[in-house]
Amino acid sequence: MLVVTPIEVLSIFLMSILAGLVGAVFGLGGGILIIPFLTLVEGVPLPFAVGASIISVIATSSASAATYVQDRLTNLRLGMFLEVGTVLGAITGALVAAFLDPGVLLVLFGILLIYTSAIMIAGRKVDSPSGVVPDRVSRNLRLGGEYFDPATGVTNRYEVTNTLKTLAISAISGVVSGLLGVGGGIIGVPTMNLLSKVPVKVASATSNFMIGVTAAASSSVYLVRGDVQPFLVAPLMIGVVIGAAVGTRLLRRTPPLRIKLLLAILLVAVSIAMILKGFFPEIVL
Amino acid sequence: MAQSLRVGVLASAALSLLGLVLWASGGFPSVTVPAILNVVDIVRVAFTGDLTGIVYFGVLVLIATPIFRVAVSSVYFAVQRDWAYAVITIAVLGMLLFALYSGAAG
Repeated sequence: MLVVTPIEVLSIFLMSILAGLVGAVFGLGGGILIIPFLTLVEGVPLPFAVGASIISVIATSSASAATYVQDRLTNLRLGMFLEVGTVLGAITGALVAAFLDPGVLLVLFGILLIYTSAIMIAGRKVDSPSGVVPDRVSRNLRLGGEYFDPATGVTNRYEVTNTLKTLAISAISGVVSGLLGVGGGIIGVPTMNLLSKVPVKVASATSNFMIGVTAAASSSVYLVRGDVQPFLVAPLMIGVVIGAAVGTRLLRRTPPLRIKLLLAILLVAVSIAMILKGFFPEIVL
Repeated sequence: MAQSLRVGVLASAALSLLGLVLWASGGFPSVTVPAILNVVDIVRVAFTGDLTGIVYFGVLVLIATPIFRVAVSSVYFAVQRDWAYAVITIAVLGMLLFALYSGAAG
């Protein structure tokens, strides 16, 4: 049982607006910022932080998947097919998390943060595939699709390949999501784009849709286990949605490299703090 | 269909806000959270107007939102007689419902 004061609720609310905003501008899920804040600053035990974060991931994913543009870009067949992997992985991850030492999870989270900041600085490699030959599974399941690109005014047809490898990596991203309370888009989007050869716009819309379903699976496990604390979740959920909405409307262009670099340095610092907390649990900033 | 997602998020945010406002108006009482919850209990507690129950209900609505979207998709694929995808979506739906009942096992 966790006692939460009004001041804590207010600071979580304000912080989650910021997390939602920064997340939307930089294309990161909110969990990457929320979990360090809850554990390092508020001293919230890790399972409660993960339980709250994974709930907020559903909120941000669903809110943005509901936009018209995102909905039209989403490949529902591909999403549903890969969700067999992510949902199975997420449930496994969420169940296993209860048996792992929080220190191990904190160190894993630190590593995820370093990976995230590395991708942010290096830039995501983007493939604009053409002439892709679908594999047998993809052909049988008719995974390919088409999307309308508003920038060029052309409807593009695309095929999907390396289907089973992508399914396997989806399962791994589900485990990461279930263990650490993040969405897993940082794994899903490049996998769909670089391995499956799905156009990046379709990949990110489909991944975003999948994240909500994946997070629903793991948050169910956290909920019925009692790791979802209502007064942590309430301010977080409202704040993240407000922040994400403001973030997507305010800044449509990608932020300059200098700002990205600053955030990446911050993330590395946070990851060091998380890893240290993994070894010395009593650390609270 | 995608609009159901927006409705779900707004409804759960509204319930969370209601819970927080009631908490504030009651002078921020210290709230107790039951150790283990199941879905039926959450709904029952929510309807008694209990503070934590209302927020929990909001959480439940939020979790139900993508699950509902998957359920709708399975019907959609079945209506299209797209049996492979009907089976895939029902499998995903089955896992999601299992997760909601996994508390007793985990």
